[in-house]
Amino acid sequence: MSLTETAQQARRRDYRIPLAAVLVVVALAAPFIGSRYVTHSLIIALIFMLPAHGLNLLVGYTGLLSLAQAAFFGIGAYTAGLLAVTYGTSFYVNLIASGLVTGAIALPLGIPALRLRSTSFVMCTLGFVIIGQAISKNWISLTRGDMGLSGIPKPYFELGPLSFTLSGTTNFYYLALIIGAMATLAAWAIVRSPAGRNMVAIRENEILAESLGVPTWHYKLIVFMISAVFAGVGGCLYAYYLSVVSPLTFQMYYSTTMLIIVLGGGAGMISGTVFGSLLFVGLTEALRITPELRMIAYGLCLLILVFWFKNGFAPLINRFWNAIGGAR
Amino acid sequence: MFSTVLEQFVNGIVTGSVYAIVAVGMTMIFGVLRAINFAHGEYYMLGTFGAWFAIDYLGLSYEASIVVGVLATVVVAYVIGQLVMRRMVGAPAESGVLATLGIALILQNAIIFVFGGGYKFFAGGYIEPVSILGFSLAQQRILILVVCLLVFVGLELMVTYSRLGMAMRAVSQNVDCCGVVGIDVPQVVLRTFILGAALAALSGVLTAPVNVSVYGGMGELITFKTLPIIIMGGLGNVRGTFFAAMILGVAESLVATYVGLQFRDTVGFATLILMLMWRPHGLFSTQARF
Repeated sequence: MSLTETAQQARRRDYRIPLAAVLVVVALAAPFIGSRYVTHSLIIALIFMLPAHGLNLLVGYTGLLSLAQAAFFGIGAYTAGLLAVTYGTSFYVNLIASGLVTGAIALPLGIPALRLRSTSFVMCTLGFVIIGQAISKNWISLTRGDMGLSGIPKPYFELGPLSFTLSGTTNFYYLALIIGAMATLAAWAIVRSPAGRNMVAIRENEILAESLGVPTWHYKLIVFMISAVFAGVGGCLYAYYLSVVSPLTFQMYYSTTMLIIVLGGGAGMISGTVFGSLLFVGLTEALRITPELRMIAYGLCLLILVFWFKNGFAPLINRFWNAIGGAR
Repeated sequence: MFSTVLEQFVNGIVTGSVYAIVAVGMTMIFGVLRAINFAHGEYYMLGTFGAWFAIDYLGLSYEASIVVGVLATVVVAYVIGQLVMRRMVGAPAESGVLATLGIALILQNAIIFVFGGGYKFFAGGYIEPVSILGFSLAQQRILILVVCLLVFVGLELMVTYSRLGMAMRAVSQNVDCCGVVGIDVPQVVLRTFILGAALAALSGVLTAPVNVSVYGGMGELITFKTLPIIIMGGLGNVRGTFFAAMILGVAESLVATYVGLQFRDTVGFATLILMLMWRPHGLFSTQARF
């Protein structure tokens, strides 16, 4: 053995690619493996994953605790519902419109709200949800009030001469899966970009970030809008899936659910949000727990997350990632 | 015309008194804990349910049901205070928000789970109208006004002269120094919290005969109305809270009559957002204390 040869670390086995392949296969095959109800639970989890990704950018990366996600979710649902019922436009047009409308509404709401700090910001964003609900209840000529919009058609596509309608739970699952995967990629791209690092800088120390030349105000406003776009797209999917939109879409309960997904999965982690939505939404749907017990469980989850389990499942996910050969 | 305005004004004052008794607890809790208690309305709901339970299941009188409602809430508040609120001392604001949101979910849905989600009829209270100065007012509303005044006079005296009151003021000024001079901060927080919860419950029991219906989700709306009041009054400001609650009560009552009943519950949040924009320290405090 020559002296130039230094002791080398034992080559670690890298299981990441096989694991990814297995996950992709499982995700694609899920409707055929599980029952119809499992597919339904997965669709709900995928739908809630979208606003949760947006919230994760806000809470996990930029450090702004917002409850407004349910308001944007509702606005997205109403935009898609109104367009589909009134004009019968195709699905992808409505999807894009929901995102754009919620993003545009988030701008005038974000400008005053983001001037507030911690608790005041939380109260203000909570106000958006309540006011959204009040508007959807009382602007009867547009939203039909408490009756809600019913009879939203199945997702309808029109590409040039081709047009087809997507029906059935299995097909909807694939639609939600594609959009969910695209949203996850988008969130990942944002976080990995230099902008993502600036967001983390704002979370860690806003004044320091400002002094280093990060335009913190613009960053916060843009992240607020991006998070609203994610929520709006999620709301659009939700409207299509339930085929009904009512003022109950604007509920504090949804904001709380999204917070539990993000914090439970581990704030500031894209994989955490994916995991969290499957665990908290998918599992509670799949177990068919009564709504009251589910909300009691969510409440307990919040308490546990705040006092005893601060990082959620993030350390567990990280450890697993390292064990299968991830970055060291 | 004038008498309708006056009648709505008086109704507003009564509603304001109800809000004031709830909100003063929340503002005191904020004072010692620097955290908004998003579960505060749930104690209002618990008090009402305790009284409803006492009347419907135990067959007690309304007077006794007030005691049952408040005591039941105090017991629940003691447990929650020991398990959760004490841990919030010195914790970041975000964890306070999340923890109290969690408590709100648990309390509200536990009640719905046990008693069902439907509306319940509250049979009790003094609903006979009496005639004062030319227009009639239910006895219960007069009782609410009187209790509200008593509560505020009592709190004013307590905060100024009693040991707990002085400790509360000290904690709301500087937590670290309180630790240095030997004030048991978690204990003060716990007592303030129980006092606030008990006041919310009292307010709930007093209002129940006026509202007639009792349901599990009623606390949420009260929490939402308390937020603009405590901001308007200036966080931690007992006297300001009283006037702010009256302003909101009267505003709601006038909006309900002249704009439309469906807009009544929006007034609060519109006020909240406007206040946060222009005077985040409230109408009655000269500068922001927190």
